[in-house]
Amino acid sequence: MIPGPQSLIAEVTHRCPLHCVYCSNPLEMESRQAELSTQVWSRVFEEAAELGVLHLHLTGGEPLARHDLTGLAAAGHGAGLYLNLITSGLGLTPQRIDELVGAGLDHLQLSLQDSEAGAADEIAGTRAHARKIALAGLIRRYPLAFTLNVVVHRRNLDRLPDILALAEELQVDRLEIANVQYYGWALQNRDRLMPTREQLERSLPIVREAQERLAGRMRIEFVAPDYYARYPKACMGGWGRNVILVNPRGEALPCHAAKVIPGLCFTNVEERPLRWIWEESPAFNRFRGEEWMQEPCRSCDRRHLDFGGCRCQALLLAGDATATDPACSLAPGRGLVDAALGRAEGPAEWVYRIDPI
Amino acid sequence: MSRPTPHTVPRLAPGCRVADNPGQPALLLVPEGALKLTGSSLSIVSRIDGVRTFAQIVEQLQAEFAGMDPAAIEEQTAAFLEKLSARSVVRFA
Repeated sequence: MIPGPQSLIAEVTHRCPLHCVYCSNPLEMESRQAELSTQVWSRVFEEAAELGVLHLHLTGGEPLARHDLTGLAAAGHGAGLYLNLITSGLGLTPQRIDELVGAGLDHLQLSLQDSEAGAADEIAGTRAHARKIALAGLIRRYPLAFTLNVVVHRRNLDRLPDILALAEELQVDRLEIANVQYYGWALQNRDRLMPTREQLERSLPIVREAQERLAGRMRIEFVAPDYYARYPKACMGGWGRNVILVNPRGEALPCHAAKVIPGLCFTNVEERPLRWIWEESPAFNRFRGEEWMQEPCRSCDRRHLDFGGCRCQALLLAGDATATDPACSLAPGRGLVDAALGRAEGPAEWVYRIDPI
Repeated sequence: MSRPTPHTVPRLAPGCRVADNPGQPALLLVPEGALKLTGSSLSIVSRIDGVRTFAQIVEQLQAEFAGMDPAAIEEQTAAFLEKLSARSVVRFA
């Protein structure tokens, strides 16, 4: 008996007005023509609830790029799911937020690239910051959980005190400070995004102080950069354990990046029920349990804690999805991560995310 | 981190709500998580309405669990609310 997932990440589109240099979407994005219909998504939400999913994360790309987003939200709410919208804010109007709240939206996560407009807009590849700040005031007027998501890296980590002050000023309920994770677009820009060890060390006490000072008012989540960690992250809480992601064309994946792993066939929700995909499909079973592990994971006491780290990172860095995540200090491939940390500023140009057609 | 006083009026933070699924334990759904509500925790959370004071909630719980030590009920309720407040699930007014 395989326990069901708790969360469904619904990438309802890859279209987005932003071009962030660390976007979590794959390098090859799905076109508008390939996107699932409202009806198919609605069925997927019903199947997810039946499978035990509690939280539905509507994300993209920019989910507001879909004109049927209110219908999708209503379908998710109708299925009994807790509804979270992850958005850049672009495309949000007073009328649309009214409709979304009316459809049952519980939580809204607004991305912000920086506390400084110029730097934020450089990362996003478009002018968006001022609009986002204005939208934060609008969003706060609704009875929603309101989270601000700020991805941090070499260019903005020194402005952490300003970012915290801005989050306080915007009166958000939660602030997610997430160091860049290096997949897809972010991996292309890794040398320019990677913080220094000194930056990271300066940031930690600042986060801790703010967490204590703001306890009970604003919750602060901090995602550490795994390249600097001693042990790897338990990516997605383990392969096929907590999360199922469905991409715009309907392929069900264990995480955002899993399509980089060769030899796996990800079943489309139009072909099979979600329960079959979760419980029976070879791709979801591929890295469950421990049979697939190599040493040092196979005999490591931490294998139940971190499941060997991230399979996609093992593939991307070490060229083998069954290898120990090179972020682990015990991994044979750790030198690959150390080499990446040793590289300076890197190339002069950003690689911007390209919008699908 | 703060402890409720008798006059504290706890309320669920925005985006936190109790989900009642027939045949399943009640869940307190919160951003990025869920808390299973059983027995006394359900009794406490179901009385958090932004109107009742801490003292009123405790009084009702002491009536509901008449066989239990009233001081222990007050202490456990305060500790539970403090924990929920620290998690930003409950706000104090």
